[in-house]
Amino acid sequence: MKKLIAPVIIVVVILLLYFVVPKPLEFSPVTSTIILSLIGLALVAMLILTIAGKMIGRRTVFIFIAVALTLPFMMNFKMPIRITPEVQSLYDALEQLPAGSKVLAAYDFDPPSAPELQPMADAFMTYAFKKDLRVIIMGLWPQGPQQAQLSIEAALEDKEVAAKNLQYGVDYVNLGFQAGNEFVIQRMGSAFRGMFARDSKDTPYDDIPLLKGVENFSNIDFVMNFSAGKPGTQEWVQIAVDRFGVTLGAGNTAVQAPGMYPFLKGGQLVGLLGGMSGGAEFELVTGEPGKAAGFMLSQSCAHVVVIAFILIGNVAMLLARKKK
Amino acid sequence: MGESVIGAWIAAFLTLGILTFLYKDNVIYKISEAIFIGVSAGYWFITLFWDNLYRKFWVVGIEGGQWELWGGIILGVMMLCRLSRKIGWIARWPMSFIIGAVAGLYMMLYFTSNAMVQIRSTISNLTESVNVGDPYYIIGNIVVAAGTFSGLVYFYFSKEHKGVFGATAKVGIWFIMVTFGAAFGYTVMSRMSLLIGRIDFLLSDWLKLIS
Amino acid sequence: MLTNQDHSFSKSHPCHIIVIILSFVFSGFGASAQAEDTATVATYSSDISPAVDLPPITLLAVDTDNDNGGSITISWDDAGYSELPQFRGYEILRRSIQANAPVLVGTAPHGSSSLVDKSVSDDTTYVYYVAATVGEERFVSDSSSHVQSTWQIYNTTLTPLLIALIIVGGSVIFFIETAKRGRKLFLRKIAGLEAVNEAVGRATEMGRPILFVAGIADIDDVQTIAGLTILGRLGRTIAEYDTKITMPTRTSLVMTAGRETLREAYMAAGRPDAYSDDMVFYVSDEQFGFAAAVDGILVRDKPAACFYLGTFHAESLIMAETGNLIGAIQIAGTAQPAQLPFFVAACDYTLIGEELFAASAYLSEEPRQLGSLKGQDVGKAVAMMLILAGVLIMTLASMWELDTMNQLQQLMRDLFSLN
Repeated sequence: MKKLIAPVIIVVVILLLYFVVPKPLEFSPVTSTIILSLIGLALVAMLILTIAGKMIGRRTVFIFIAVALTLPFMMNFKMPIRITPEVQSLYDALEQLPAGSKVLAAYDFDPPSAPELQPMADAFMTYAFKKDLRVIIMGLWPQGPQQAQLSIEAALEDKEVAAKNLQYGVDYVNLGFQAGNEFVIQRMGSAFRGMFARDSKDTPYDDIPLLKGVENFSNIDFVMNFSAGKPGTQEWVQIAVDRFGVTLGAGNTAVQAPGMYPFLKGGQLVGLLGGMSGGAEFELVTGEPGKAAGFMLSQSCAHVVVIAFILIGNVAMLLARKKK
Repeated sequence: MGESVIGAWIAAFLTLGILTFLYKDNVIYKISEAIFIGVSAGYWFITLFWDNLYRKFWVVGIEGGQWELWGGIILGVMMLCRLSRKIGWIARWPMSFIIGAVAGLYMMLYFTSNAMVQIRSTISNLTESVNVGDPYYIIGNIVVAAGTFSGLVYFYFSKEHKGVFGATAKVGIWFIMVTFGAAFGYTVMSRMSLLIGRIDFLLSDWLKLIS
Repeated sequence: MLTNQDHSFSKSHPCHIIVIILSFVFSGFGASAQAEDTATVATYSSDISPAVDLPPITLLAVDTDNDNGGSITISWDDAGYSELPQFRGYEILRRSIQANAPVLVGTAPHGSSSLVDKSVSDDTTYVYYVAATVGEERFVSDSSSHVQSTWQIYNTTLTPLLIALIIVGGSVIFFIETAKRGRKLFLRKIAGLEAVNEAVGRATEMGRPILFVAGIADIDDVQTIAGLTILGRLGRTIAEYDTKITMPTRTSLVMTAGRETLREAYMAAGRPDAYSDDMVFYVSDEQFGFAAAVDGILVRDKPAACFYLGTFHAESLIMAETGNLIGAIQIAGTAQPAQLPFFVAACDYTLIGEELFAASAYLSEEPRQLGSLKGQDVGKAVAMMLILAGVLIMTLASMWELDTMNQLQQLMRDLFSLN
């Protein structure tokens, strides 16, 4: 009987949320401030409990994170977001491309990393279409080109983009996935056609108007890579940039981002979007705040909770050491 | 409408099922995990079948008559010999081809991009900055140069870590630890973003609580 | 797929050599062909450009250096057209010597003086013209001399890379040979290794087993090999202390290699009877299935010491955190940069990156491992010296602005400019 309590509560809460709670649910600024203050106070209470010698369980941490992540979704706060130099430099490089420039967009990620990369990828596609860049899509990850399709759909929802009546094959093309990891990039250096004999819709390479005159990287003005691992940005840098001299910008998961900074300093990357916050910055710098920017309040609240618990954990450790 | 609602409910059930592990290991978590593993294995199988075997081997290689691909096809078939105990040794040939090709390619790539270019970007004028005399840039330059140098000293194995050399190595390990801290921070950010993605799905696509 | 991959050394086909020879032969006939070109262009330019006071633009079209063909670089000397108030830009025109009419290959804005035409074919000889557009009028230059694109067998910009590869590769071979001849090569002690005996001792005292995980990669991964090498040495101590060891593996080949390693270690310790195949067992190829199984072993058997040496991915923290919870001494080592922070946070000792290989070489004293490590040390020493000298030269050059310093600075830049 006792075992059933938790599942029953969960089901009841879900049903309440689904059928009873008014939609959309939005907190007023006053309520939001009160909620955030309460979370802050609860964290202080945790610190006091720790000093008093009480151990805090891991489940308590989970609850704090869940609350700090979920409730900000309903708050209507604007987070101040600072544009970092690596995002600004990517934007500046893209701004310099004249209309009609050919941009290769390599989608090297799959749904598990989509929460981090999809918002920036969508923002990039919308921006590219608005600027009349011609986008050639490909993927070294099987699901990448499908994520690109989602980006195209998101971009077409924009009124300005929709009004352009973009044509597949003329304004953009999806070459699809190609197996072979970094060897694909290597081979593309001599001939794109060798790796992509047909696009994802099975149209032969030579029948696609956008690809007329596109032999290899020398006919591409900019490469944008969205990467969640290997093969990804590192391979694009090593082969496309350092061997074939392309201009490369990248969007990476936050786990990968620190490893890419040396390439940024080495001038091998013109800019870098790191994780969801990089995506949020890109949305802002292009003047189209979207999903990532909207998520930044949740992200920041969660970070505050994590930092608080790091402090609490260290206090606990210091006290334990003192006792010894 | 029906399809997307059912889809959202299934996805929500699986998401919550996985999250129940935070409380403790349970049947719902195990079911969700098994479904995830099964579906991803199936998805990979189908993708690789259509993209590799069908598109490359059949459409381009056989139907398209691209003879260059036949080298790869033959190597691929040789690889399958691993399945047999008797002729399993044949698989060593394509394996050595792959290892040799990858080693050759990587030697050049890593040496250029990860060694030479990085040394070049470390060798810089320490007082150089975008705005003349900006301490932010100058400190940055010093940190990069000192960090790279002392990090290399730490990973130098031909000399005992004693005296000035040992002190430099100690500075190196501090730099490495700070790097790990930064990487850890980024990982936390990454994991939170993934959780945000899921919660966004639950709140907007499933419960429709937010617009 | 692989044969056609190289950018700088590509297309080593005899036909190209013949083409080059022919192009030299043809260049001898340049003079007569030239006259004809000028005639064609005269008709072309007279249509569009009236006579002006300024001399015509002079231009030079040459094959682009250090490439695999298909590219010609055109540079021009503007005779003052760009100073005219209505100047709009340059147009670069190309004509194959077989064709009559030139085609537009590109435009260049005010201030530019060169353009790379990458739409040429190696089999064709071309001539170029540059036209300055002023208002509605175009002032076309005389034709360039005949030019044909070719590939270069050696990319001179990569010379520093070749030198670096020779230094490091040569040192590796030299040290391997030295070690093979039996000369002792010095390697410093690795801090984490000292803890190995301590960990085994503690497990013996507590009467609890030791857990060893050689990563999740297969036997072809060098990190797995390093992990197994350390296991060989560790196994001897374990056999001597008569402690129990558990080694779950993710692949069958690692299981076989692990068994072999441990059997040898027990024999070397003089305890072959104490060895059993059950110590090393295969669990699952599925990454998280394997991680869950290791977690289960950790919670149930409560080993006193845990070793994680090899390639790890996202399961690193799952295992190390559980090990930490049960209070085991934990020693980890991996060259996966993304996983190192987790091991450092959750384990007592961590072999960071190359330390794993160094530990393996140090313990095994195997010539190839020792030689590779020493050879790489030479590379690192060169890098350290270059960084130190380079930073000093660059900084001092900017402060003093002496000629010699600036020359040194330029030398440094040239040394590392690979493209």
